[in-house]
Formats: sequence, structure tokens, C-alpha cells
Amino acid sequence: METRLGPLHLKNPVVTASGTFGYGLEFTEFVDLSTIGALCTKGLSLAPHAGNVPPRICETPAGMLNAIGLQNVGVKSFLEEKLPRLRELGATVIANVWGDIEEDYVAVVGALEDAEGLAAIELNISCPNVERGGMLFGNSPAATASLVARVRAATKRTLVVKLSPNAPDLVESARAARDSGADILSLVNTFVGMAIDPVTARPRLSFGTGGLSGPAIKPLAVRMVFQVARALPDVPLMGIGGISDLSDVLEFLAAGASAVQIGTANFRDPGVSGRLVDELEAYCRDRDTTVRSLVGRAQRAPTGGEVPGGDAGAEG
Amino acid sequence: MRADHRGVLLARRVFSPGFFSVTFQAPRLARDVSPGQFVMLEIAGRLRPYLRRAYSVADADPAAGEVEFLVKTIGPGTATLESLAEGSEASLLGPLGNGFSLAGLGRGARVAIVAGGIGAAPFPLLLRAMRAAGVAGDLYLGGRNAAELDFRARFEGLVDGETVLSTDDGSLGEKGFITGAFARRAAAAPSPYARLYACGPMPMFAALARVVEPARIPAEFSTEAAMGCGFGACLGCVIPGRDKPFVISCVEGPILPPQKIDWGRI
Repeated sequence: METRLGPLHLKNPVVTASGTFGYGLEFTEFVDLSTIGALCTKGLSLAPHAGNVPPRICETPAGMLNAIGLQNVGVKSFLEEKLPRLRELGATVIANVWGDIEEDYVAVVGALEDAEGLAAIELNISCPNVERGGMLFGNSPAATASLVARVRAATKRTLVVKLSPNAPDLVESARAARDSGADILSLVNTFVGMAIDPVTARPRLSFGTGGLSGPAIKPLAVRMVFQVARALPDVPLMGIGGISDLSDVLEFLAAGASAVQIGTANFRDPGVSGRLVDELEAYCRDRDTTVRSLVGRAQRAPTGGEVPGGDAGAEG
Repeated sequence: MRADHRGVLLARRVFSPGFFSVTFQAPRLARDVSPGQFVMLEIAGRLRPYLRRAYSVADADPAAGEVEFLVKTIGPGTATLESLAEGSEASLLGPLGNGFSLAGLGRGARVAIVAGGIGAAPFPLLLRAMRAAGVAGDLYLGGRNAAELDFRARFEGLVDGETVLSTDDGSLGEKGFITGAFARRAAAAPSPYARLYACGPMPMFAALARVVEPARIPAEFSTEAAMGCGFGACLGCVIPGRDKPFVISCVEGPILPPQKIDWGRI
């Protein structure tokens, strides 16, 4: 089950996604945090952040829209109140970081630099629910490159960059992040979506738009992971998008992800991540195989035709 | 302790079209739940509704191992529950939230309970706890029309006090909002009530806050916000707060005093 993503070694490939797992501590009655590969924290900013006014979520077919707006306790409070407890519980922690401008990211990463018990930093350049920062960095390869390079220079830690599926060319964004020093890419964040009350004709979310997540986006995310894995076969990937059960995990591994992040499923099934670790372990044991050998199988299988979507095969 | 309980649907009682109660066998939950707490209910294997739904526990019988929910059909989640076959399973994540408090109320104290429509859901269990503590209470129950209050049959024998009914159309009880009926009685000086417990829509809470805050009647409102998870992870259910930007309804509530809510931002 041991999983290597470049410099990051995890005990298994099941990670919980930022924004869907709180600070981990909300889940201790449902998951033994020491058993999962890692948890990604709620996106941390330099100062505490209030987030958007409600309504912030609404259900959609096979998923949900959210516009939480990155409410979080701030990096100082995280370091003082959350991280020590996570360390005691034996959790492997990836700190998700965001900001309005490049300097904010650098400052948060700086504040985390000497913290004990962090396995990696994940840069959120893909949140669609804030007025500034967030997705704006992820939607332009030049902005991605500039931000990642600055953060890379500011930290020795393993750097994960979380990509936006809303980017005009995901492979270009992935390449920009890789070339600027990202060790690992995680993909995808939520898709910008919208829901309107048919009676009042008003958006269901106060922010207007929101990020779509859940099983509804899984085929879109699988395609994107497949594409980036094909274009950049040497970059370790964490696949994200609607993963709810073992077959979803296997699907993302086959597409080329070395690890997966469980997101929205944590809301409806808070014990799902721990159970998926057990199920994946049993699957590998029964078939006398390893997680590593499950990664990228679909890349080697004949696809039966062109993979749609531009230059997917350029480097593959 | 919170857990994901397996519940088996034992019985459904229909009060009027769209108003019903469901009783599940879930022994540990029945033992652990306190008045005002809720569960996140999921019927396995469904992609729509995708998210669980929050239901206040209406009543619990620890001896029989049963918990009951009082429900009004309003959308796909409640519709699923309305048609769920007896003997079917659901998972009941809970008990969640803080619950009502009877602390500080001595034997012989008198309280008011104000419910807007199906907002009455959490009160059978509270009424039982009040009876055990020797606390009397008047139940104010308001609805749009008489048919929407047929579920009041569920409260028979539970109220140690007066039951005041109101309907918007005057087809049952007083005509008008239940908040008016409450205000007329509560405003007496000194107020007959040592505490107000209320559950209903936000405008009802805002109207009640305008009554109890000047009269200094302590109040506990069972707030309702769309919840993604029910245990503090998604931050979807926040309510504008007075001493901080947002209160997280599912873990800091759902029972909140009016002083914690910024009514101007509701």
C-alpha cells in the first residue's frame, strides 16, 4: 500500500481533500486519522477568514454546489490549536494554502515552514468562490508559473499544486506548475456551476456561482487526470473528483493518479476514507498486486481511438 | 457518542397529506439522544438526493430502542422518506448538535414552546424531559391552515399546560401568526415564562426575538439551515452571528439563543 509521489511517501494512496475534511479533528469519531494516507486541511490563509454569506451550498443531481468562500481559522490558529492535536493522533497532514496575492501565499508558507508534523504544502490556485486570488492563479499558465516559482523559492517542503478544471488548457497549467517547481499535482478542484431557483429566478447560492463536486463530475475528472498523466508522465498526480467507493479509486489509479483524494463523499459518509483504505488493501491482497502496479493501467491499455481534448498525447 | 447508526423503519404514521412521522429501530441512538439534537439521515445507494438530510429527533424510547422523526414533505429528501417501505434501512448519523437545555429551571417553572408548522418536530422529546424535571409549559402551534396542524395529535397527553393554536386563514384556533398569540401572553409584566423554546422559519425567530429580547425572557431557538454534513466539516450551514461573522449551525447549534444571531443580516 505504500505510495510514493516524488519526495512524498504515504502509507497508502487514500487522502482526504481540502475543504471536505475540516481540520481532520471533526472526523475522529468516524476515522482513525493515522490509518489514511494523508489529510488535506481546509484552505489556510494568513488571517482568519469569514467566508461568504449563506446560502453557501445546494444539492444538485449526484453532487452539490458550494461557495463557502474559504472560511478558515487562519494559519496561526491552525498551528497552535489544530496541528498539535493532529500530531498526537498520528495523522499525516498536508496543509492547503491560499491567498489573494502571491505575497499572501508566500507568507502562509513561511509561517508553516518550521512547523513539526507537516508532510507537504498544497497550493490552492483553483478555488472558484472568492473574489480575488484562488482560481485566478490557476486559470492562466503564466500566473500559475509565477506563483509556484515564488512559493518554491520560499519553502523546502514538498509542494503540491491543486489545479483548476476551469483552466482554459489544463495540460498547459499542469506544465506551468511542474516547470516552476511543483513536486506533485492534485486535480481537479470543483467546476464552476450555477443553480437557479425556478420560482424566484434567483441563484440558489448567495455568491451566484459555486463549485460543483460529487459523483456528477467524476467522468470529467477522470478524463483530466488521464490527459495530464499522458502529457506529463513523470509528474506524480493525486486524482480528485467524485470518488465515493473502491471502484472509483481504482478508476483514478488506472487513469494515472498515484494517489486519490476523497472529497464530497466525506460529507455524506464520514467514515468512507478509512473504509476505502481497508477495501483497497483487501483488493491488493486478494489479487496479489500492489497499488503501484495499479497506477496508469489505462495509459497502457489501448483506448480504441483518439483521446479527445487537444494535445493530450503530445508527450505521451 | 456520535456514530452512524443503522436504523430499520418500523412504522409510519400519516397525519395529513405530506405530514407524517417515521419510527426507526435504532437502540443506541434512542439511548444517547437528548432533546433538540438531530441526525443526518441517508437512504443508502441513492445519488438523488445525494446529501443526507437533517432531521430533529422528535421522540425517543430508550426501552424500546426506537427513535421517531416528525416530517413534512418539502423536497426529494423528505419525499424519499415518505415512500420508504417499512422494514427498509436508513443510516442515521448522530446524535448531532447541542440540544435544548433545561438547566436553571426548577420544579414548578413555566416555559413557552412556540412552533411554526413542522417546526414542532423536536418538541415531543423536550416535553418528556420537561415533565421529568417538573417544568410546565404552554405549547403555541401555528400553521397555514387546519389540515397542516393535524399532526398536533402527536402532542396529545404530552403538554403540561395550555395548547394555543393559530392558523393564517383562521380555519383553526386564532387567526394570524403564532408569534402574535405568544407575544400577547408573554408581554405581561412579569412575564409568565421563565424561558422560550422555539422552532420554525427564520422570520418567525426574528419576530420572537423582538418579543423576548426586550422582555429579557431567555430563549433557545432550534435553527434550521441547509446542512451538507451535520458535523462541522463543510461549513455550509452558517448563520450570521453577532459576536463573530458566522455561527456554525450544526455544531455550535442548532439550538441558539437569539443574542448569538445577527438578525440584521438574516
